[in-house]
Amino acid sequence: MTLTTVPRRWWPTSALLLATVVCFALGGVLDSGTLDLGVTLLCYLAIAQAWNILAGFGGLVSLGSAAFVATGGYAAALLLVHTGLGWPLAVVAAPVAAMLLSLLLSAALLRLRGDYFSIGTLAVAIALQALIRNWAWAGGASGVTVPADAVPSGGNLFQLAVLVAALAMALTLYARYSDFGLRLAAIRDNEPAAAGLGVAVRRHQLAALLPTSGITGLAGAVIAFQFIVISPDGVAGVAWSLNAVLMTVVGGTGTILGPVLGVAVVYYGLTRGLQSEQTLSLVIEGVLLIGIVRFAPQGVWPLLCWATRRLLGPRPGPGTGRPVTDRGKKDEPAPTASEPVAVDAV
Amino acid sequence: MSLDVLAAGILAGGLYALIGLGISLVFGVLGLMNLAHGELVIGGAYLASLLVVDAGWDPLVALPLAMAAMALIAYPLQRYLLTPLLRGSKSAPLVATFGLSLLAQALFQAAFGTHPKALPAAYADTGLSVLGVRVQTVYVIAFGLTVLLCAATHLALTRTRAGSAVRAASADPDTAAVLGIDVNRVYAVTFAGAAALAAAGGVLTGVAQSFTPSSGLPLLLTGFAVMALAGIGSVGGVLAAGVALGVLQSVSVGLFGGGWRDVVVYLAFFLVLAVRPQGLFRKAHAG
Repeated sequence: MTLTTVPRRWWPTSALLLATVVCFALGGVLDSGTLDLGVTLLCYLAIAQAWNILAGFGGLVSLGSAAFVATGGYAAALLLVHTGLGWPLAVVAAPVAAMLLSLLLSAALLRLRGDYFSIGTLAVAIALQALIRNWAWAGGASGVTVPADAVPSGGNLFQLAVLVAALAMALTLYARYSDFGLRLAAIRDNEPAAAGLGVAVRRHQLAALLPTSGITGLAGAVIAFQFIVISPDGVAGVAWSLNAVLMTVVGGTGTILGPVLGVAVVYYGLTRGLQSEQTLSLVIEGVLLIGIVRFAPQGVWPLLCWATRRLLGPRPGPGTGRPVTDRGKKDEPAPTASEPVAVDAV
Repeated sequence: MSLDVLAAGILAGGLYALIGLGISLVFGVLGLMNLAHGELVIGGAYLASLLVVDAGWDPLVALPLAMAAMALIAYPLQRYLLTPLLRGSKSAPLVATFGLSLLAQALFQAAFGTHPKALPAAYADTGLSVLGVRVQTVYVIAFGLTVLLCAATHLALTRTRAGSAVRAASADPDTAAVLGIDVNRVYAVTFAGAAALAAAGGVLTGVAQSFTPSSGLPLLLTGFAVMALAGIGSVGGVLAAGVALGVLQSVSVGLFGGGWRDVVVYLAFFLVLAVRPQGLFRKAHAG
């Protein structure tokens, strides 16, 4: 570890700040089509990154992102429709509702181990979707229509999405570089050992679950503003959960920039690029997923970093690959996940 | 609440049990959450449709062939794709089976189109009266076959040498390997067996209702619900859980109306998982 000098430590944070400011400024320049695409990508990024923190850093593989997207989206939409309060309040209500839901469910969910947690979150998501479908006050199966003139659109919505995604990225940086993140990773790699060393397992997992649910709910609110009409099939569909997994795994689970790459590859390259060729799109997505977990289980981003480092010679390139593959996986009491270390060693 | 509703629930539950049995088997023995199980079920239905729709066979005659074919397809998938992944990261096999599920859907779309299909049979729509209770013939047949297949699976697991190997590999793969059991082969055989059970469920589902390339997901979720209810490692528990789920569903439809069908099932699914993660009908062995 050579991350001891102060300036270098602040590189990731500075880069994030710079990127946020630049993207925020772009909100006033880009045309509406690009802005719309940007909002979609940024929402996916926030949801994927939240999943990444929970699964990649916390070891809690969730299949229930859709539940929190739906909670956030519906909380924001229902607040606007039924109370007439302004959209900033809806933006606050969305993560609060999502966090309340996760707090409520955590008592049950955090008792579940491994795959049972995955099944449990999947059950939550589909139960919630079925519930909303039958909930007349929330519009039932046909959904709710957000008053279009009361919510930000175009450049402003894009800027909101930039802030949400930046928050998700900041949280990822925190999960990666903080002591908290280190303890979380220790639980992921060997729960009994971490508990034995005095890490409060449940409290750390709850501390990972709450903000990631909040971020996902926040993205749900932005999606509600973008969609205008939200329905159980639109915002509570299993597709949100699966896309979060897909994008993160393709990009690189447990890395900071992996999900960014994953969102771009999966959404822009496949889903959108092949909209007319639905069957072909399914084939490519399927093959891509299988190929990646089979031949590059860490995802595309660590592979790229590794390749770059090989090309540039034995000295690690400044910045690019460094923060991704090493720390947080190496410094734990019991490094059961050996692949990242292997990559770093090359 | 009439007896008809109860009987319909029990019989539909048989089909759920058949779909859940394969999922439970794979998860119990391999520790693999197979997100492609719904496609194995639908794949069985599509394979049978080749013989039933195009060649005019009876679905029940096509059923064993569909089972065998799905098993043959599933064996190499597990042996050469999924087993190597089981040693890697936790989410890798899960993601791979999701990829398989997408691939299978694409394959169904390309080969059979997106229009709903069904397996025509003389007993598809007819009713049957047993002791004054009216039931659909196809569900009676499905229930009978499910009980038969559950019994066969149970006997195969408990009374045969291969079954002992499966249980040994499930309890402790490393020790089983030391004792000379080819764990990778056991895994592939188990997966193939689960695929065959799935195909049987698919053929029966195809007779009872129509299906499309994307019909797999709801079936998968039902199967998970059965597994959560049953816990791992008991064939009888799976059958009981399937029936319980079927009854719960038809009773709640009778009480609250058709829209609440899934709500009740998924809520029960979550509550059971939360309160008794080991399942309602769990036995001590395996898992």
